[in-house]
Amino acid sequence: MTVADLTPRQRTWSAFRRNPLGMVSGAVLLLLALVAVCAPLIAPFPEGYGADTLQPPSGAHWFGTDDIGQDVFAQVVWGTRVSMAVGVSASVLAIVIGLLIGVSAAYFRRLDTPLGVLVDLSLSLPVLPLMILVAALAGPSVRTLAVVIALFSWPEVARVVRSQALAIVPMPFVSAAKVVGGSSLWIVRKHLLPGVVPVVGVSVVLTTSRAVLAEAGLSFLGLGDPNSWSWGTILHKAQQSGSLASSWWTTLFPSVAILLLVLSTTLLSVAYNDARNHRSDT
Amino acid sequence: MRRALALLALAALTACAPSVPGTSTGGSSQPAASTDRLTIGTTADVVNYNPLVGNSRTDSWVTSLMYPHLTQMDETGKRIPYLATEWSYAEDGKSATVKLRDDMTWSDGKPVTADDVVFSVTAVQKEKFGVVAGLITALDKAEAVSPTEVKFALSRPDGTFLDNVGFWLPIVPKHVFEKAPSVQKFANDSDWVSAGPFKLTKVERGQRYIMERVDDFGPGKPAVKEVVFRVFPDVNTEVLALRNGEIDMIGNVLPPATASELKNDPKIKLQQVPSLGWAHLQYNTKHKPLDDVRVRQALAHAVDYEAIRNIALKGFAKSSNSSVLTPSQPDYVDPSSKEYTFDPELSKQLLAQAGVSGLSLNMIYDQADPNIARWAPMVRDAAKKAGITIKLQGLERNTYLDKTQKRDFDIYAGSWAVMDNPPANLGLAFKTGGFINYAQVSDPKLDKLIDQAQRALSPAEAKAPIQEAARIIHDQVYDNVLYVETFNIAHSATWTGFKPMPSELLSILNPLSLAAAKPAG
Repeated sequence: MTVADLTPRQRTWSAFRRNPLGMVSGAVLLLLALVAVCAPLIAPFPEGYGADTLQPPSGAHWFGTDDIGQDVFAQVVWGTRVSMAVGVSASVLAIVIGLLIGVSAAYFRRLDTPLGVLVDLSLSLPVLPLMILVAALAGPSVRTLAVVIALFSWPEVARVVRSQALAIVPMPFVSAAKVVGGSSLWIVRKHLLPGVVPVVGVSVVLTTSRAVLAEAGLSFLGLGDPNSWSWGTILHKAQQSGSLASSWWTTLFPSVAILLLVLSTTLLSVAYNDARNHRSDT
Repeated sequence: MRRALALLALAALTACAPSVPGTSTGGSSQPAASTDRLTIGTTADVVNYNPLVGNSRTDSWVTSLMYPHLTQMDETGKRIPYLATEWSYAEDGKSATVKLRDDMTWSDGKPVTADDVVFSVTAVQKEKFGVVAGLITALDKAEAVSPTEVKFALSRPDGTFLDNVGFWLPIVPKHVFEKAPSVQKFANDSDWVSAGPFKLTKVERGQRYIMERVDDFGPGKPAVKEVVFRVFPDVNTEVLALRNGEIDMIGNVLPPATASELKNDPKIKLQQVPSLGWAHLQYNTKHKPLDDVRVRQALAHAVDYEAIRNIALKGFAKSSNSSVLTPSQPDYVDPSSKEYTFDPELSKQLLAQAGVSGLSLNMIYDQADPNIARWAPMVRDAAKKAGITIKLQGLERNTYLDKTQKRDFDIYAGSWAVMDNPPANLGLAFKTGGFINYAQVSDPKLDKLIDQAQRALSPAEAKAPIQEAARIIHDQVYDNVLYVETFNIAHSATWTGFKPMPSELLSILNPLSLAAAKPAG
């Protein structure tokens, strides 16, 4: 079977498989997702307190213990769950909003200008201070964090989707669909959405990683949910207890987890983009 | 998001920092201290230079070096002379007299007189602002009998009056402050006229505050020529600066984990000062089912007090035997008080008796308070053993203050910083409608006992009613006192002579202590 016989999707996949960076990144992400889902099987929920405070990493405590004697490994494992949950849900929410706005702006010409202004306006807002303000006013909970982050992440998605959709709208098949009397909704569903799905795929991954970073930032500032663990919360507690400078293990492991996730999502989306871009095949 | 990246970088950096104290500084040659300069680290700028208004710690540290108070406290919390040399009440308790030193002058050459004292207290009384206003409600009129004697006429006998005025009221220069249309709104942010041991000469916002010695300071010439407050982002960076010899003292209280680590550093000395306040849980007695004393008792027996003191506070905390009369108040302390036992089974029984099941409560606290943020989850986890669900609401400070003001909580976790005078403070905290009566206690018997204690003119006389009041607060669980913190203040071992006083407001940064500080050896 030659390359020409493959469908575009198969071609992308075979190109992707040949890129070790993409494969490794995918594996790391899968592993993190697995840790998030199976957290209860890996480590008990970190709660209570123990006499072994600020112990360096050892056989009993792989990642050491924090200032009230909790196991940092358990915190990181359970933190994966909340960090990824916030990241994924915020990114899904942002994608839905961004997709709606991006596609409407491209398809309904009259909406383009007002929506464009809205997107530009949202992009020019000072995001971090606003996020801090909203999170502080709404009170700390995992749901608040996801919503707050989504509210400030959709404009980038909307902009990418709009530019991709703009290229599709003047295509002959869209005009043909109009001529045969297809409703706007039907045309958007059948022709526009499939056209923008690849960019959305990349966006999901990148927005997720940005959302995880934003979550870590907000939690580090003390706006996280005190009833659950996220990577940012672990860093926040380490900073707050004053053990930051002396007990490297309390900050290193959650930081490495954040690094792994952000790095692998970035590499994954780069690899996917390369694989889809067939010009680089030749 | 950029912040989050910076955070990553920061985390990576600190991760590389050596964990052995002192190895990074490398230099065995720490410069010996000289009397030229004492540098103090703080984490905030001075926001308000008007000492009658300012209330942040840095505000108070800097302005208390500039404006004298009538009295100071010694290590045991006893009042000692500062601007005042003698003070007493009249027989009937309806007036009080204070005699002043005659050797204090303002930095523009004018003497500090009774007129200044009268002006300061009258301004607060008239414009009703700051912490002092709520404490001097008994004051009728203040007048200067002579340049060195002030007489306060009181509308009712109040044995807490002199303690409150002496401790809390900064004395400001009348000839400067009276020019402002409103003393409360007077910014006082340049050309300061002061009378403390040091005067503020240079301000670099966000960087440093330079204060120079006053050679003819009445109680004695300070040994140090210059005191500099340097502003740092947080305690962690202050500790690094102290270890590197960039600063001589950290003004802020060390977090317990940092203190237990610095304890073994030969270059650093820790001064321990007791808190005048306490950390506590308050149960909103107006929320059902917390109006039932058995439910409050059940909650009190579901807290692991020992663990909070030993693990969250690293042992830098004392038990107050669940009494609001803490060991920092030796004149009032009641040795018969017993701490609530940690006994989840007993809690379950009490809840069953009260007919309450599946109890679920919210608990608010200030997320930025490192100690409370550490023990709040411990309270939740211990309560779980008694079948009580506590939902933590670690809030941003202003939201937390707002909820506290509106009494919008089931459980309040917090701490009171300075409770220097039990009859006065218990009045604010537990009398019906009291300003900080967060638990919304309304108990006629308690009100009567506190009134009686406030009328008493000496601690000896106030002791019996105030102990009775404290017993009611204990038995009814109107307040659940967890511990009295022992504050650790770090300074370089090259300095000595500090005079520690209780509370983090005074600690070793109080004017008399900094005036006495000198290089070691």
